[in-house]
Amino acid sequence: MQNALVPVKTDNTHDELIQLVSFNLDQEEYGVDVLKVREIIRMPIVTRVPNTPHYVEGVINLRGKVVPIICMRKKFGLIESENDKQTRIMVMDMEGELMGFIVDAVSEVIRISGSEIQPSPAVVAGGIDQECIAGVINQAERLLVLLNLEKMFSRDEKNLFTGM
Amino acid sequence: MPPIDCEDQELLDGFLAETTELLEKLDDDLITLEKTSDDTDLMNRIFRSIHTIKGASSFLGFDLLVKVAHKTEDVLNRLRKGELIVTSDIMDVILEATDLIKLLVSDIKAGDIQERETDGTINKLLPFLAESAGAQQRAAQPPAQPAAPSVDAAPSADIQTPPASEPAQSPEVPEPSADAAPVAPIPPSSVPVPKPASEAAPKKAPAPPKPAEGKGDDLSDNSTVRVDVKRLDDLMNQVGELVLERNRMIQINQDLQQNDANRADFNEEFGKLTKRMSFVTSELQMQVLKMRMIPVEKVFKKFPRIVRSMSRDLGKEVELVIIGEETELDRSVVDEIGDPLIHLIRNAMDHGLETPDERTAAGKTRGGTLVLAAVHEGNQIIISIKDDGRGIDTERVGRKAIEKGLITEEQFAAMGQREVFDLLFLPGFSTKEKTTDLSGRGVGMDVVKTNIKKLNGLIEIKSTKGLGSEFILRLPLTLAIIQSLLVEVEGEIYSIPLSSVLETIRVDQRQFHLIGGQEVLKLRDIVLPLIRLQRVFNVQPQGEADNFCYVVVVGAAEKRMGLVVTRLVGQQEVAIKSLGNYLANIPGIAGSTILGDGRVALIIDPVAMSEGCE
Repeated sequence: MQNALVPVKTDNTHDELIQLVSFNLDQEEYGVDVLKVREIIRMPIVTRVPNTPHYVEGVINLRGKVVPIICMRKKFGLIESENDKQTRIMVMDMEGELMGFIVDAVSEVIRISGSEIQPSPAVVAGGIDQECIAGVINQAERLLVLLNLEKMFSRDEKNLFTGM
Repeated sequence: MPPIDCEDQELLDGFLAETTELLEKLDDDLITLEKTSDDTDLMNRIFRSIHTIKGASSFLGFDLLVKVAHKTEDVLNRLRKGELIVTSDIMDVILEATDLIKLLVSDIKAGDIQERETDGTINKLLPFLAESAGAQQRAAQPPAQPAAPSVDAAPSADIQTPPASEPAQSPEVPEPSADAAPVAPIPPSSVPVPKPASEAAPKKAPAPPKPAEGKGDDLSDNSTVRVDVKRLDDLMNQVGELVLERNRMIQINQDLQQNDANRADFNEEFGKLTKRMSFVTSELQMQVLKMRMIPVEKVFKKFPRIVRSMSRDLGKEVELVIIGEETELDRSVVDEIGDPLIHLIRNAMDHGLETPDERTAAGKTRGGTLVLAAVHEGNQIIISIKDDGRGIDTERVGRKAIEKGLITEEQFAAMGQREVFDLLFLPGFSTKEKTTDLSGRGVGMDVVKTNIKKLNGLIEIKSTKGLGSEFILRLPLTLAIIQSLLVEVEGEIYSIPLSSVLETIRVDQRQFHLIGGQEVLKLRDIVLPLIRLQRVFNVQPQGEADNFCYVVVVGAAEKRMGLVVTRLVGQQEVAIKSLGNYLANIPGIAGSTILGDGRVALIIDPVAMSEGCE
């Protein structure tokens, strides 16, 4: 699985093609490396897990595996919205463990070349942690924020999860 | 020594797995050999083990390991040929060498090879290789053994044999050193020169003076399993059945879709199918569980060694009797019971059994007996450690506890024997005046309690002063599938391990009392502290509050409390699923399980709950 990371990480080659899954969150469009996405599913019944950070929505049963679910809106400090027909869970491979992220909608898989990724602007408004923004992709009529979800949880947060 | 540049990881893994297995067996065999020194089969088996280890490690280029294994093999070879007689001195040295090998292997396993001091041990082995050693021994022990001194030096030729040829021949050929003999010129009267040892001497690094103790112990590795082929076949059969049932199910579904079958037929067919499916799956469940089972022998076999060395250190004569070592239990349990058992055995050796003189004075046999037994009972395994020593002196335990300020005089006066025994498990409690390296720090029993609690087990102590004591551990057979009680808390379903549920009662909330901010319930003659799961888990209340609710009385080790829930759902056998790394360690939650309707239910951890309410 680690090899899958290579195209994104070593983007100094700049002309490698990268495939991204783009998804929507509060009117913005984001992208993640397609190789990190295991599957995209509709909202199942989520079992709440007590005494966890507010953005942990709970756990679901993914064909016999128990997978934690994170609400992206809550995590990024965006206004919460009702789940609708478009709401999806993106099940991602996070350092060998599966984790699901609730997003407003998943739109498409796009191909971009490494050179299109620009470093993120110094100040990004909103509650999104700078850490997990790997770059910004500026195409003709769209702006895509490239996320590195493995950096989404700070060390403190990881400790919170496992050390409570 | 070269770093591990084994390009073939598989080869290395294979080596480690095999060596570990051999070493585990070796300890036990060596101790047995000391008792029955004329058992040639056993002797040969030990010799072969060491030889295999030597061969394989020389093939992989672990020089230090080869060196130690080689010398040990030489000594064993002489024992095997009857040139030396098995004495406890020789055994001591061989055991020391085995420990060193374990340490070296664990280094390799950890991936960082260190320069270890091996000369000390090797030098201890050398005297037994000297030409005169056998003779001296024979002189000391009149019934002379037939000797064959001319072959003495043969093993020394081994080291020159091309390493690559070793592993190939080692597993099958029982006496490879003899094979190697003709290859090398044998200086007839020479003592095997410790050549490799002297080579290594200059590059001797400032190594730890004594191999770190205990590090070799955790060699045992549970990442691979050996499964009986028969069990695998059985499993395959069951899977075959399952496939048939699935086909049947598809068929029924098709018939229904095409309206071929009428409603009544479908109902009947489907009912039958459900029954068969449930039968096959429970069979399958049993099979897989069985595959996860390993004999408790895996833990037990290191005890003879511990008992041997402890009895020497303490100057006590102890006979260890092991019963039921073939009893099987789940790997996860086996991994956890090692430590508690070591503590209990140490306790029995140190506190329980008396010295030979004391025993004679008390009219007992000089040697004490320590019985380690394992037996199945229902879906539990019972392990007991029984000694015929002096037993637990309740008076002394009580006085000690008062002295340490753990209890008051009045409390002690009111205590029954059982309560006094419970004092032993308090952290920091020890009846020893002096802390020795064996015991006295007051940690041991606390460790035992914590580990057993973690496994949802129970401990029971039986003791008669002057006659001995018995520690009985009751453990669940497996941790993977448990019986559980499903409860509802304001619409959310939680599961409580049935093993810790003592009873359930329906009560009126107005019967609850409040003592110092803690809600309690008077249940017969005890006052039960209550925990409202709704509050602990921050569940939003749903609808009208009902005055009536259910209290699930749970016990963890010696504590009891009541969990307040809205409704009882029922009893179900559930498979435990981990919550993964991200959500591990949520207070009060032990894991999760998947219910019949596909939803996830969390499993409550009564032990953590009880600690939370302290």
